[in-house]
Formats: sequence, C-alpha cells, structure tokens
Amino acid sequence: MSAILTLAVKDLRLLLRDRVGFFFTFFFPLLYSVFFGILFSGTSKGPSAIPVAIVNEDRTSASDEFVSSLRKTSSLALDLVDSRDAAVDLVRRGVRSAYVVIPPGFGDASQRLFWGAPMRLEIGTDPGQAMTAGMIEGLVTARAFERMQRLFTDAQAMRDNARRSLEAVRSSTGLSGLQRTLLETLLTSVEALPDMFAAQESAADTQPDGTTQPALGGWRPVEITTSQVTRPTAAGRPRYPTSSFAICFPQGIIWGVMACAATFAASLLVERTRGTLPRLTVAPFARWHILAGKAAACFFTTAGLIVALLFVARLGFGVRPASLPLLLAAILCVTVAIVGLMMVLSVLGKTEQAVSGISWALIVVLAMLGGGMIPLAFMPPWMQTLSDVSLVKWAILALEGAIWRGFSPAEMALPCGVLLFVGVVGFAVGAGVFRWSEQR
Amino acid sequence: MLRLVGLRKTFGTVVAVDGLSLEIQRGEVFGLLGPNGAGKTTTISLAVGQLRPDAGTVTLDGAGSPADPHVRRCIGVAPQALALYDELSGEENLRFFGRLYGLGGGTLRQRVARLLDFVGLTERWRDRVATYSGGMKRRLNLAVALVHEPALILLDEPTAGVDPQSRNAIFEFVQTLKSEGRTVVYTTHYMEEAQRLCDRVAIMDHGRLLALDTVAGLLRRTDRPPTVILERATGEERIETADPKAELVRALDQPDVLGVRVERPDLESVFLTLTGRRLRD
Ligand SMILES: Nc1ncnc2c1ncn2[C@@H]1O[C@H](COP(=O)(O)OP(=O)(O)OP(=O)(O)O)[C@@H](O)[C@H]1O
Ligand SMILES: [Mg+2]
Repeated sequence: MSAILTLAVKDLRLLLRDRVGFFFTFFFPLLYSVFFGILFSGTSKGPSAIPVAIVNEDRTSASDEFVSSLRKTSSLALDLVDSRDAAVDLVRRGVRSAYVVIPPGFGDASQRLFWGAPMRLEIGTDPGQAMTAGMIEGLVTARAFERMQRLFTDAQAMRDNARRSLEAVRSSTGLSGLQRTLLETLLTSVEALPDMFAAQESAADTQPDGTTQPALGGWRPVEITTSQVTRPTAAGRPRYPTSSFAICFPQGIIWGVMACAATFAASLLVERTRGTLPRLTVAPFARWHILAGKAAACFFTTAGLIVALLFVARLGFGVRPASLPLLLAAILCVTVAIVGLMMVLSVLGKTEQAVSGISWALIVVLAMLGGGMIPLAFMPPWMQTLSDVSLVKWAILALEGAIWRGFSPAEMALPCGVLLFVGVVGFAVGAGVFRWSEQR
Repeated sequence: MLRLVGLRKTFGTVVAVDGLSLEIQRGEVFGLLGPNGAGKTTTISLAVGQLRPDAGTVTLDGAGSPADPHVRRCIGVAPQALALYDELSGEENLRFFGRLYGLGGGTLRQRVARLLDFVGLTERWRDRVATYSGGMKRRLNLAVALVHEPALILLDEPTAGVDPQSRNAIFEFVQTLKSEGRTVVYTTHYMEEAQRLCDRVAIMDHGRLLALDTVAGLLRRTDRPPTVILERATGEERIETADPKAELVRALDQPDVLGVRVERPDLESVFLTLTGRRLRD
C-alpha cells in the first residue's frame, strides 16, 4: 500500500514539474468552461435543431400533412413517437426537449374557419429547456398558420370563381327571382371571405417572442395547451440549467479529465521507454502495484481536477449542485471510468507519441459523440442514440444529473453504473494486455 | 550467492541467452564479459527477475527465485539504460527509490546524503537530473542501486559513455563495495575493466558461456604468445613470438627502431582464442 502511494506521489510531483502538462490539465478545461459559458450566456435562442418527439393521435391526412410540414422545419429535429406516454418519458429523461401531441379532432378542426373548436395541439416541455419551449410553440404555431394560408389561397380562387359566377348570375335571364336572390347572397359572402382572412392574418401575426395574439374576437386558428414535464425530484432542486455555465462546466470537466487519462497513459509509456519501468519491476513488490500506483495518481488528479473546477463553478459562476451526495457519487464514478480509460489508452501504442496521438483522436471522437462539443439536449435524436456508446455521454449525464437535472438516486444508477463498468473492465483489459518490457 | 541454471531466453527468433549456467560466490566481483549482443543485459534481467526465462532457474542463496518480490529486497541493479526520473532532482530520485524499499525518516535521509557523497553529487543534489552530465547520471544510476544496501549488486556496463575521471571513480566504488563484503556482478565489453576489477570472469558470446575462471586462469588458456612491438617512424610492427627476448635483442641492431614494448596476452587475446574474433571491432 505504501509503495502504491509512493508511486502515486512521485507521479503527482512529476505532473507539477511539467508546466505545460499542468496547464493543460487544470487551466485548459477552466478556460473552456468559462469561454463557452460566457459565449452562450448571452443567447436566449435555442440550438439550431431542437429535438422534439411528436405523437399523431389524430391520424388524418391533415395531421399527417402537419407532421411533414413540421419535419421540414430545420430548427426542429422531429421524431415520431407511438404513444403520448413514450413521448412524455423521453422528455422526462432529458432525451428530447419537448413533445407535441396532435389530439384526435385536429383534422376536422383544420377544415373549419372562424367557427367551432380550433385546431388543438398539446406541447409539453422539459422545464430545464425553458428557453426552447417558447421557440417550439412559435414554430408549431407558424406551421399551423401555413395551413391557414393554403386554405386562404384556395379561398382566393374561390372568390374569383364566385365573382365570375355572380356576374353570370346577374346577367342571366333564365333564373327565377328567388333563385337569383339565393345565389347572389351566397356568392357575395364567398367573395367577402378573403378580406376576413386578411384581417385575421394581420392580427394574429407571430410575435418575435413566439407568442401569438388573438384575432377575430378571440378566435384562434390553433389552440396550444402547454404543460411542463416535471421530474420526480425533491422540492427546491433546480431541474434546469441555472445558466450556460451549468452546461459548460461539466463539458469542460470532461475535456480536462480525458486529458488526464491521456497524460497518465503517456506517462506509463515514458516509464517504459526511459527505463524506469524495468527498475520499478525489480523493486520488492508485485507488478500490479506499479499499475495501481499509476491508477492512484490518475485517480487523485482526476478527482482533484473535478473538485477544483466545480469549486470555481460554484464560487465564481454560481453553479450550485442540486445534490451534494449524488455529485460526490458522480465524481467517483467519472474518476473510475477515467482510470479505466487511461489503462486502455496506454496499450494502444508502443511509444509515448503514438499513445498521445491515438488518445487525442479517440478523445475527440468520444467527446463529439458523447456531448462534449454539442450539448446532448441539442443533438438530433439519432445522434443521441449513437451517443450511448461514448462514456463522455454518461459522464456528462452523471455530473449534470447531480448538478441541475435533479436526478433521483435511481436515475443516477444508469450513468454511474455504466461509468463504473467502463472503468473496471477497461482497467482489467488494459492491465492484462500491458507489456512490461519494450519490444524491439 | 546467485545460481543460474540452464537459463534460456529468446526474443522472437533471436536467442539472447542460450543454456547459461553459472554460480556467483558471496563477496566476489564477478565479471560478465562479451561483445555487443552477447546476452549480458538479458542475463542480468533474468537474474533479477525482471524477465522471466523461457527455461532454467535463478536461485538466490537459498532464498528462492527473484520472481518472488521479497527475494528482490537484497538485490540492487544499475541498468545499462539509465533508469532515472529526469524531472526530479538527484536527491528526489534516491528518496523515491528508497521509499519503494520501505525506507523512510532519518535512515533514508542519512543514506541519501551518504550516497550523494559517495558518488560525488552532493553539490548537485537539488538540480534536476535532466541538467546532469552523462557521467553524473551514470553515477546517480549506480547510487540508486545501492540505496537499500543490497547484498548483491548488478552493474550493467556502469562505465558506458563516461569520461576517464568518472570511470576511475566508478572503479573505486566497486572496490569499496567489495571491501564492504558485497557481491558485485559487473558486465562490460572492456577487457581492461574486467581484468582490473574482477575476481572471476565469465566470457559470453551469442548467449552462451565460453569460459569461466579467474583472470589468471583465463590468461593461461590463451595459445597466443606475447607480442613484441617495434616502434618506427613509419609505424608499429607487431611480432607475436614465443621467445620475446630474442626478438628484443634483434631489435637493438635495427637503427630505425625508436622504441620497443612487450605485450603479454590479455583477456582480449583469450577472447580471440576462444572465438577467433576480437571483442570490439
Ligand atoms: N527486448 C528485446 N527485444 C528483442 N530483442 C532483444 C531484446 N533485448 C535483447 N534483445 C536481443 O537479444 C540479444 C542479446 O541482447 P543483450 O542486450 O542481452 O546483449 P548485451 O550483451 O547486453 O549487449 P550490449 O553489450 O550491446 O549491451 C541481442 O541480439 C538483442 O538484439
Ligand atoms: Mg547490454
């Protein structure tokens, strides 16, 4: 045990001696978090494509058409879901930012104008995605209005027809007085339709903030009921990112800890190529102590880095964790996963340079897939599914779960379990494959 | 002290050590002499449990195999490839390796101070190893092998890349270690070093043991006669002769001979006899 500690302390000392390495380990992730935190803090606009689950309960040609019009909207990443429950669950788990339900009756309502029940839509949003909720509502409303627009265009043709018919009726001599009166009344009212549309359209303009104003004495072409998808959390816990820093700090942390994994993997290689590893193998303890020492150094550095960055996030940027015990659990699990990653990285190359290169390539891919670059919530659905393969996703989910997603211990179990599994299996496999002497 | 029996080690198709057996006595300075690639370093690595042999056994004085961590406690190695942390100071390197052997506190501090003095690095103890000269690194590399005061010390080419002054210092260390009653295994391809330092010498080539004897015993094996060297303005003339006296007398009659010298056969010539090749080309 004391040998493991001695080895770990030596590695920490070496890390501190290496100014550049130290900078990249501690300050780069901090810069990353702060830079992107500030960059995104000003923007209240959502991401370019908001992941939305849609449920078509109406199943009429009108609702199908509405779905495909929403699908064409570039700012929405639409995902057709079978049931309302499934959609709610997706939002509840943070996989989608919102759901839209087209309830039965939508098709019928869309055929009517100015009377009866309007088209109804239900939107449910993750309170954590509050900034995107208004945007979704606005977009959905806009699409609904486009339908109106088409009816309006049809009406224009109808009016031309009506006018021509009216003239024909007036100039006709073969009609009875009653017939003439009836037709004239009907065709005149048809001719007047477009003016009523115009009045309504200008009054019901979509406002920049995404809200719509009632037109025609309160009649709205589309009525949107919104609801919030709350999670089973204790009172007082934030369930949404309090600021962009709550998203950018976990991301910065992930970059930092993966750099730790790469640094220590390379340092194992350095020990082998510079000859200190052979010297360590003749010391009076079994070889696993050497790997355990490296693992311990990686563990302490990683945990220290996370804690330090979270302190800065808390004190400097007001990122307050929802649950301290869960955050500690998340830190532990992320750290274990990083140690496993370090061991795997160390066997991917024969030289320090090769391992560093491969490590960075792998880290960038893992980060790209797992939400280290584009936040998870902003990814299109297919990418969110793909991100399951990246431990970065689980690490971010564990940290965010404890910081702002307000995960319950049960919800934490999945990301934490995945991280522990990756850590333990990665370490075992890496240690098993590790070469103790240089192969010439 | 150390017994190697039927050791064999291959790297791919290269047979580095090929059925090597030898026994090193307590308190002796044992030389392992051979050209590049003879298998000296591989033998050392096998002897200290750093490599596992394909066949054969290594036993340390009844204590068992050095594959057992506890047995390694009484072994110290100074590897041929320097094994030091460049970013740590000389003192920090010594302290670190000392701690790995369970040393600490005052004992460790005293030993580190004494070793720094022993290898002449007291003035540079704070400096990072990266700033040391090649000879200083060699001396520190040797000091690290001694920090836990092992009974058996293996030095793999401790004079490689070292100036004559550091080299003499290293010779003195070895003699000091011997006088303290420690057992030293010393590998080299310089026959002068083996001749000067070692009680017994094993000559290796292609992973095999060619001869094992005292230096005097080995010298008796050579069939080479002494060499008379005649120095002329145009160069040297080397004459191998069983009767050097007659050759010297003849040289006196030659006016162009500026000087004469007689070389007795050395380990170099023993190697030549054994293999038909020179130690170094
Ligand atoms: N790790 C290794 N991988 C592959 N081949 C090796 C390895 N170590 C040694 N060899 C080979 O084994 C043979 C013996 O090498 P070794 O280093 O033991 O020789 P040596 O006597 O110490 O030589 P030198 O005087 O150059 O140090 C050589 O042919 C060498 O190429
Ligand atoms: Mg060698």
